[in-house]
Amino acid sequence: MALEDVCKSRSRAKPASLLDFDVPVAECLQENPPRSGTPQNPLPFEMSHGTTTLAFTFQGGVLAAGDTRSSCSGRVSCPDAEKVKPIHSHLVATSSGTSADCTLWKRILARELRLYQLRHGRRVSTGGAAKLLWHMLLPFKGTKLCVATTLCGWDESGPAIFYVHSDGRRLRGTLFSVGSGSPYAYAVLDQAVESGMTAEEATRVAREAVYRATHRDAYSGNCVDIYLVTSTGWTRREREDLKEEYYRERKNRQGGTV
Amino acid sequence: MSIMSYNGGAVMAMRGKNCVAIASDRRFGIQAQMVTTDFEKLFPMGERLFIGLAGLATDVQTVSQRLKFRLNLYELKEGRQIKPKTFMSMVSNLLYERRFGPYYIEPVIAGLDPKTFEPFICSLDLIGCPMVTEDFVVSGTCSEQMYGMCESLWEPDLEPEDLFETISQAMLNALDRDALSGMGVVVHVIEKDKITKRSLKARMD
Repeated sequence: MALEDVCKSRSRAKPASLLDFDVPVAECLQENPPRSGTPQNPLPFEMSHGTTTLAFTFQGGVLAAGDTRSSCSGRVSCPDAEKVKPIHSHLVATSSGTSADCTLWKRILARELRLYQLRHGRRVSTGGAAKLLWHMLLPFKGTKLCVATTLCGWDESGPAIFYVHSDGRRLRGTLFSVGSGSPYAYAVLDQAVESGMTAEEATRVAREAVYRATHRDAYSGNCVDIYLVTSTGWTRREREDLKEEYYRERKNRQGGTV
Repeated sequence: MSIMSYNGGAVMAMRGKNCVAIASDRRFGIQAQMVTTDFEKLFPMGERLFIGLAGLATDVQTVSQRLKFRLNLYELKEGRQIKPKTFMSMVSNLLYERRFGPYYIEPVIAGLDPKTFEPFICSLDLIGCPMVTEDFVVSGTCSEQMYGMCESLWEPDLEPEDLFETISQAMLNALDRDALSGMGVVVHVIEKDKITKRSLKARMD
């Protein structure tokens, strides 16, 4: 049957091992060794790296936020990109680095996690998903591939955030900000984030952090996306355009006069 | 990183019916980081003459100051206001003096003749090659975006109010597609009897 073929579940006596991941790693590197991105063979255009994404835990869950500007060599190539995307019902991932790399690797990760869930009847933990992603990216270490993602999820042990970078880093933490706008976001988050925050407070702080980063950083801008992951799954706050925020804040600060 | 895109910036000028308009963004940044949002890139060089400078910020300030110096001497010697075309030659000369170590700016000039009030716009490259056009001139990190906007929005013989709307829309939409320019827009509309300066409400990211 088609599904059985996809899952490759050998319906024999021996059950599929827990470590049975079909990672598409080595074959694609052997078939297509990296030919560009070297001094002799430079890339045809500059890959995009600018962004502001952040993630932190609050009371009852995890918040993931990001801006929506995708830039390439100074040009804004997409003002409404999606940098925070759900992987499955209880896992959300932010992306930073090369847009194409992040999009594809999120899809590959989602596929592997889904197959595991189908074969074994339970979801992979957030740390396990991070480890899987790290493992899949390992052969590409030293190439021009650039993925810097935070996996924000809720599993049996509660909320967790894992930062995974294609250079081999895999870190667990309670507060991360990634991208060219992250210094500005950290300035807001470091003074405001506390472990006992409510969802509303967390949303307000995350929105402020992204706004400050979009104001100062050239490569962050346009709108802000916020996802909240709790025990019941992820919820998404409606995308908000931050273009009026500067004037609204100026008006409030001057007490009503612009 | 290119020297011309180290600070970012954008300037444009348009010609209308017995008027000209010149506009610039207000961002001063150092590569990705924005430093201020009130950086002057448009400088008055006569009663009805403006120059806009896009490029490396230090050269924007140095060239505008040195140019003003030469212009003051000219006005003292000649006892009259300079014609836009002559001013263009003055700028060209100043830039070509540095042919093999240039100022990293690309100026845009917009003004009315002091006697006939004929509108005049032109732009120059960083080593002083002048280019006079009948419609619009652009300069800066988002010049391609600005060319696209101007080409589609501009039409000949626009009245001052319509010219203001046209140049404003062209600037705002071109800047939204450039990471290194923006943070506000200033527009000067120069007519025979008045100059109107307006600041536009723009995206501040």
